[in-house]
Amino acid sequence: MSIEEQYRTRAKELLSGGAVKMVIGYGKGTTPSRRRPLFITSPDDVERLMLDDACITNLSGYLVSEGLLSDEKRVAVFLRPEGIRAVNILAAESQLDAEQIVIFGFDVSGNEVQALKGIHVEEFSDVIRSIKEGAPEADEEELFEKIEKMSPQERFSFWQEEFAKCIKCYACRQACPMCYCRRCIVDSNQPQWINTSSHSLGNFEWNIVRAFHLSGRCVECGNCDRACPVNIPLRLINHRMAEEVLGAFDHFAGMSKTQEPVLASFKKDDSETFIL
Amino acid sequence: MAKIGVFICHCGENIGAKVDCTRLAAAMGEHPGVAVSVEYKYFCSDPGQESVKRAIRENNLTGVVVAACSPRMHEATFRKACAEAGLNPYLCEIANIREQCSWVHTDNGQATEKAMDITRSMVEKVKRNNKLQPIEVPVTRRALVIGGGIAGIQAALDIANAGQEVVLVEREPSLGGHMAQLSETFPTLDCSQCIMTPRMVEAAQHPKIRLLTYSEIESVDGYIGNFSVRVRMKSRYVDIDKCTGCGDCITKCPAKKISSEFDCGLGKRTAIYTPFAQSVPNIPVIDKANCIYFKNGKCKICSKTCQCDAIDFAMPDTFVDLEIGAIVVATGFQVQNNSMYGEYGYGTYPDVINGLQFERLASASGPTAGKIQRPSDGAEPQTVVFIQCAGSRDPSKGVRYCSKICCMYTAKHAMLYAHKVHGGKTHIFYMDIRAAGKGYDEFSRRAIEEDEAAYLRGRVSKVWQENGKLMVRGVDTLLGRPVEIAADMVVLATAIISQPDAKEFAKTIGIGYDEYGFYNEAHLKLRPVESSTAGVFLAGACQSPKDIPDSVAQASATASKVLALFSKEMLEREPVVATNNEATCAGCWGCVLACPYNAIEQKDILDRSGRVIKRVASVNPGLCQGCGTCVTFCRSNSLDLAGFTEKQIFAEVMGL
Ligand SMILES: Cc1cc2nc3c(=O)[nH]c(=O)nc-3n(C[C@H](O)[C@H](O)[C@H](O)COP(=O)(O)OP(=O)(O)OC[C@H]3O[C@@H](n4cnc5c(N)ncnc54)[C@H](O)[C@@H]3O)c2cc1C
Ligand code: SF4
Ligand code: SF4
Ligand code: SF4
Ligand code: SF4
Repeated sequence: MSIEEQYRTRAKELLSGGAVKMVIGYGKGTTPSRRRPLFITSPDDVERLMLDDACITNLSGYLVSEGLLSDEKRVAVFLRPEGIRAVNILAAESQLDAEQIVIFGFDVSGNEVQALKGIHVEEFSDVIRSIKEGAPEADEEELFEKIEKMSPQERFSFWQEEFAKCIKCYACRQACPMCYCRRCIVDSNQPQWINTSSHSLGNFEWNIVRAFHLSGRCVECGNCDRACPVNIPLRLINHRMAEEVLGAFDHFAGMSKTQEPVLASFKKDDSETFIL
Repeated sequence: MAKIGVFICHCGENIGAKVDCTRLAAAMGEHPGVAVSVEYKYFCSDPGQESVKRAIRENNLTGVVVAACSPRMHEATFRKACAEAGLNPYLCEIANIREQCSWVHTDNGQATEKAMDITRSMVEKVKRNNKLQPIEVPVTRRALVIGGGIAGIQAALDIANAGQEVVLVEREPSLGGHMAQLSETFPTLDCSQCIMTPRMVEAAQHPKIRLLTYSEIESVDGYIGNFSVRVRMKSRYVDIDKCTGCGDCITKCPAKKISSEFDCGLGKRTAIYTPFAQSVPNIPVIDKANCIYFKNGKCKICSKTCQCDAIDFAMPDTFVDLEIGAIVVATGFQVQNNSMYGEYGYGTYPDVINGLQFERLASASGPTAGKIQRPSDGAEPQTVVFIQCAGSRDPSKGVRYCSKICCMYTAKHAMLYAHKVHGGKTHIFYMDIRAAGKGYDEFSRRAIEEDEAAYLRGRVSKVWQENGKLMVRGVDTLLGRPVEIAADMVVLATAIISQPDAKEFAKTIGIGYDEYGFYNEAHLKLRPVESSTAGVFLAGACQSPKDIPDSVAQASATASKVLALFSKEMLEREPVVATNNEATCAGCWGCVLACPYNAIEQKDILDRSGRVIKRVASVNPGLCQGCGTCVTFCRSNSLDLAGFTEKQIFAEVMGL
């Protein structure tokens, strides 16, 4: 039986037995190569669930939709390892109760889909640890290497050019599971720290502030990057921040559902290289 | 409409010589919202303050900016003046154009431009200031004194005698500290224990003092007036309520060869012991590391001997939680280990000892009952060499500072020796004789003139053993020649250093320390007994090396500070505290973790039927210290700090 079929069967069981009230998965998209989030509540709909290498979007953000979990019923969700890490962070930041989340874990290598064993976040800790410890992927993006080699001035103008394209649609924020704030900093106008018009200063402020808000929290799922209508390579910024916190504080976002947020906690042996 | 008054101070020449105050006043007068802009030579003077008050009344000012020195100097002065003129004191701000401008710039034109920027930015802030009311918090009238040396005992007695409750915590089995170890004390040569023990007993029996010996501070939370302290009472394995202090167990204990800490290794003690005969409380403890029963499960002789069934090998550590209003830290000092001076042979030659060991030799209650005998063979030394500054004033091997008391105690040692060993000879190598203090110079002169101490100004380069003598080679710099003395005993005046755990302990109670681990006072001259943490005071040698008179004086000073604090029922606190916007708070609890004062709690927002609709963070204004950590952490900008709101800071920045 293919993984897709196995998961359909499991979804059917869970829904018909009432063990979960909803399954969040992937369904047919606008084109054959695209998948779109699917929310099913009836066992009769499980046939619409799809699972293949086109299932990329991190669905964990839907879990914190207003009111979804407040009845304390369980919800099942299809997640890649990044999505599972995101659930850990959401749990650590009290946005959801991990007990309520039933995970349909999977990973894709090449165009092979593999199932990940487990239902609850805790059961995936080995998978997450192996990602943390795994060697950086050999084909680390060319663009990333290029930016790393730039002088600070060159890098600054690179990002200036990129951010100049931003139209402040906030699609990145909407797509990001970590951007769950009820009022985002850009929506606060007393005072208006971040200029909302899309000129280069305001664009810079927005993207840099968001990068800071995601440091130590971004799981590099790529949702923001894919959502951006003007193709700003947001993944590069977040990747760099993730490397920073890993190097400086040995913090890998989403290791466990009790992980303390890196910027709000300290260990006695934290490096203090930034204190002059 | 804002009506801001700008008051530009010349501070004599301090500001006036660099900043063109007339131009500054004119420019500020033009700024929107400024109703008055004036300059004056010294606004902090009485007529200066009067003119500010008059301007507030005459113009109905809604805010005041004083462009002057650092707010640390006169913010309080001007806020008070504003309050007297009927303006809420938090509507007054200081623009620092001295420390941050006139003092650090050379070009008059640029300094004036910068002063304008700084002042304008403050005007913009003040326009957005809110009236704030001080927060009142109750004061718990119970003091905690940490350390039962002479300083701690004195502080505890002074506070208790004024009728306030004290908890005195000492980590050793007995009160006393170093003073209990001393023989006779300079400058009067009275017997240390004779003046010390009555104080110890008085402290132990005082109805207002709760004595916790063999106890350590586990944690300190809270703030001035309202500390919560947890104390660990280490297990003595002897029930303090049952034990009568008869000492039978001590006599019978077969583990007798343990080096006595109290006698600095010159005497022996048993595994169940009291540090010294007059210990307070006179209740022994079992030294678990050396007890035969704890080592191999057999013995229990003490427990068989005890008539009162007081010994309990299973006794656990216990914890006491205390509500405390003020803390006096009196944790004292230690003497440096001299083995770093290989050339002096301390630790290699048994007859090279330190000053504290000499005290034990000279003490009537010491291991030799007060006879001066050298440790190696018990013989009476006929020639003794004292080496001062063995560690002090030596940046290369020891410590940079002067330990302050060694000149005096070495003179004392020479005298005590002369009184006990007639015909004995003393030689004292010194760098300078520092004998400032009432009766101190007279005292050291007496050592030279009456007790024939031979002072040699110079350092010792080497001590070695030859034909049963300790050969001391040094230099007499006044005569400009090398000297070699064959001595029977050498006494090193070891440096006074901080307790080994001083830095760690400072972190537990949240006070600052210097590079040597001595605790920092809030101001060396004007606030010498206060730490920089409100409600925590410093007494005795934990702050710097001190003799007994200074330690006692400082202890009494802390008592007066504590009593002043306890004279009020409520304490006024600055209303600079964080507030949370519950509507926008995402409940991520980052701030709860980030707050260094544990001032943020989780709060449930319920609907009418009692269902939780939302969980948010909530700041306890009694605990918040206004540090702003949470504000910087909060991603959704839900937290804000009164007096330094985002709006105010933003306006300040934009005003630049
Ligand atoms: C060799 C020598 C000779 C001296 N002779 C004289 C003299 O003749 N005349 C004179 O005026 N001065 C003399 N002094 C100085 C005198 O000993 C000190 O001034 C005095 O002991 C300082 O008292 P204190 O209470 O500050 O510190 P200490 O006596 O050191 O007492 C501190 C107490 O705090 C306790 N403690 C430490 N840490 C903790 C903790 N974390 N929790 C709980 N308890 C703790 C310790 O166990 C100790 O009991 C001499 C000193 C030396 C070394
Ligand atoms: S999605 Fe892209 S364009 Fe839109 S706000 Fe984010 S960075 Fe700017
Ligand atoms: S910032 Fe982008 S990559 Fe990171 S978690 Fe959010 S959506 Fe995913
Ligand atoms: S950008 Fe920052 S403030 Fe806005 S939603 Fe994301 S985390 Fe919250
Ligand atoms: S300002 Fe915030 S972090 Fe600082 S003490 Fe107050 S509540 Fe805690």
